[in-house]
Amino acid sequence: MLYFAELAGKYVTSSDGKTIGRLTDFAFLATDQPLITKLRIDTRVGHILVPISNMRSINGTITLTPGFETSGVSDNELSVKIHLLDQQIIDIKGNKVVRVNDVVIQDKPYFVIAGVDVGVLGIARWLKLEQALNRLVSGFGTSLRSDFLPWENIQPLELSRGKVQLKHEEGKLTKLAPEDLADHLERLSVKNLTKILDLLPNEYETEVIQNLNVSRQRELLRNINPKHAAAILSRIDPDEAVDILLTLSERRRNLITPFLTDEAKSHIDYLLNLSKTDIGNLATTDFFCADPEETAGNVRRRMKRDTTLATPLTYVFVTNKKKELVGVCNLHELLLQDMDVPMYKFMIPNVVAVYLTTPPEIAMKKMVKYKIYSLPIINDKRQLLGIVTIDDLAEAMQEKQT
Amino acid sequence: MRELFHQWKHRILIALAIVGPGLITAVADNDAAGVSTYSMAAATFGYQIFIILIPMTILLAITQEIGARIAIVAEKGLADLIRERYGVRIALIMYGLLFFVNLAVVIMDVAGLKAALSLFGLNPTVFLPAIIVGLYLFVVLSSYSIVERFFLVLVAFYGTYVLSAFMAKPDWATATSSLIIPHGQITPRFLYVSIAVLGTTITAWGQFFINSYVKDKHVTTEHLKYNRAEIYLGAIVTDTLTFFMMVAVAATIFANKIIVTDAAQAAIAIRPFAGNFAGILFGVGLLFAGMLGCVIVALTTAYAFSEFFGYSGSLDETFRKSRLFYTTLLIQLVIGTIVALMPNISLFAITLAANFVNGAILPVIFYFLYEFANNEAIMGTHTNNKIQNWLLAGSAIVIIFASLVGLLGQIFGW
Repeated sequence: MLYFAELAGKYVTSSDGKTIGRLTDFAFLATDQPLITKLRIDTRVGHILVPISNMRSINGTITLTPGFETSGVSDNELSVKIHLLDQQIIDIKGNKVVRVNDVVIQDKPYFVIAGVDVGVLGIARWLKLEQALNRLVSGFGTSLRSDFLPWENIQPLELSRGKVQLKHEEGKLTKLAPEDLADHLERLSVKNLTKILDLLPNEYETEVIQNLNVSRQRELLRNINPKHAAAILSRIDPDEAVDILLTLSERRRNLITPFLTDEAKSHIDYLLNLSKTDIGNLATTDFFCADPEETAGNVRRRMKRDTTLATPLTYVFVTNKKKELVGVCNLHELLLQDMDVPMYKFMIPNVVAVYLTTPPEIAMKKMVKYKIYSLPIINDKRQLLGIVTIDDLAEAMQEKQT
Repeated sequence: MRELFHQWKHRILIALAIVGPGLITAVADNDAAGVSTYSMAAATFGYQIFIILIPMTILLAITQEIGARIAIVAEKGLADLIRERYGVRIALIMYGLLFFVNLAVVIMDVAGLKAALSLFGLNPTVFLPAIIVGLYLFVVLSSYSIVERFFLVLVAFYGTYVLSAFMAKPDWATATSSLIIPHGQITPRFLYVSIAVLGTTITAWGQFFINSYVKDKHVTTEHLKYNRAEIYLGAIVTDTLTFFMMVAVAATIFANKIIVTDAAQAAIAIRPFAGNFAGILFGVGLLFAGMLGCVIVALTTAYAFSEFFGYSGSLDETFRKSRLFYTTLLIQLVIGTIVALMPNISLFAITLAANFVNGAILPVIFYFLYEFANNEAIMGTHTNNKIQNWLLAGSAIVIIFASLVGLLGQIFGW
């Protein structure tokens, strides 16, 4: 998760390390799925707009790809700085609610505005006082939570008319915990979700579906017509497709498979046959969980105190109050953080996970593909049941072959 | 004929509907802090000080009109625009400055109120908190229109200064001619005092207040002309009141070479020459000036808070809905009361700080006014004309100079 306050003003360099200018703004699509499309960079001689696909990495500075392109503003694009940031938020009746103090950007799997920060921390961030304020408040034994309004509360059409208007009345406002902000697609109805998927470019659609919660994937494939379902499944990775198919009833599965493309069908048929073994037998419950608000320092202290070397840790899984898996981070990422940064800030919100129905072969493929050494096993409420490690999995598969 | 009558009736009704912001803001510039400054000025220089009244009226009218026009056309307050166009950091700095300068003015007004209570033999430790609580509850519980009528009633009490001026039996010919014909020597002390008078009339809070208040009243662009007239009228009425206030003091205290440093002393010093009743009237004026001033200046801070940070804030809304707005108002009044009731508090130090911050913040506010009033994206066809721009830039320069001289004057005791 990224904050506009932390990105604005960052230096932008070309791939060979030359400074181009500073990032001052983003262009985004004023739709239900507010994709960030362009970076605005202020250079010494004026400003340029660079499509986001030309951005290679964000660290201390932003690096562009070699031979990056520039472009103009399209009709349907708005500016974060002019249309969103610092603007007055009004509810559906026109009452003043609060101002947009910061804009929250989700960077994975693609750049999209997840929502707006309306809390005090959003203001503190512009003054570079966020951590100091957190420290101060934690000295009094309490903690400051960021107040986020998720994007789905905002009427995108009104933005171009210069208004940040909510879809509800002030009283019905849902403010979210930061860790839940990332997956706002999960909170949409299936009808709205399909609408959004239709609008997305194909490559995004695939990623979005792969990143949905298993219960949502199931709901989606149950409710759209089998032909459309098959079209989606053909486009996504066969392993993922099988994984999703296996969560459906056999009847539904048989309705969808005839519509798959031949190539996808042969792949998927093969993988479906593998699904007889149970991954549950390989699972272990030796995993380490953290709270989204917990600081990196606290997680490290707890790790030192509570864990042994008997089962080496590779990841910290982040679960919310409802025990749902909301993020993950590896130990390297944890070590890189300052001690007082909360987990939600740097965890990866779209966790690669498997289900109890997932064949071990597919689990293995996922591990290889994403370079992961242990996968979380979740149920359809996204609650963490256990993990399966690469060595257990490899051993089981080896035994099976011999 | 009948048609003509209807036309005029219509116009008068609109004019009456528009009356409020300009008059109230301008007259509130003559708050307790103002009355003290004017008394001191007139007691020290007599009719000589009158020469600054006309230029001051023009400056007040021009700056207030620009602020109100922005609010009407943009339907946004000054603080709204600063936040939206300059971001969080600038907004926070401006709010911080405004908070402290307003707080200092609130303290001075509550102190004026306290002095007025003492004049009438009422124990301030009992009556001051009671009046403040009463005022606060009234503002919280009433709607915009009722609060506005109350303000207008308070404004009417400034009429007491006119009465006390007549009772002082001044030399009207000298008094009026001094408005146009300068006389006497211009000393650093004279400059310093003139500038203090200017600084207490054209204020940072005045610029924010007119803006938010006009917005809260929902005046539309088609009534811009009436609004302008009302603001010009407000400036003239205000400075006419200042004129009478100064006449009362000049004809008595100055003429008899008595030294006074604030309004309460003036109210006492005036009695032997203009009669007890004139002194009482002067005191009543101070009492109401304190009440109007402390509420309006604290209200400005509350408006600015809700605009800068986007929280709901309007006199028409309930406490529940505009909680932060009303809390900001309360904080200022409570601090004002506590400080004013402290036995050994140095109002001198507070005045010094207030004048300095006011001087520092006003040119910045004029800069924002200039930028917004000339921005076609905000103002459409209602941008500033050249004369308005020159006057605005000119006032900024005068005020910067004024506050510097003022600060030096207070430090070196001119």
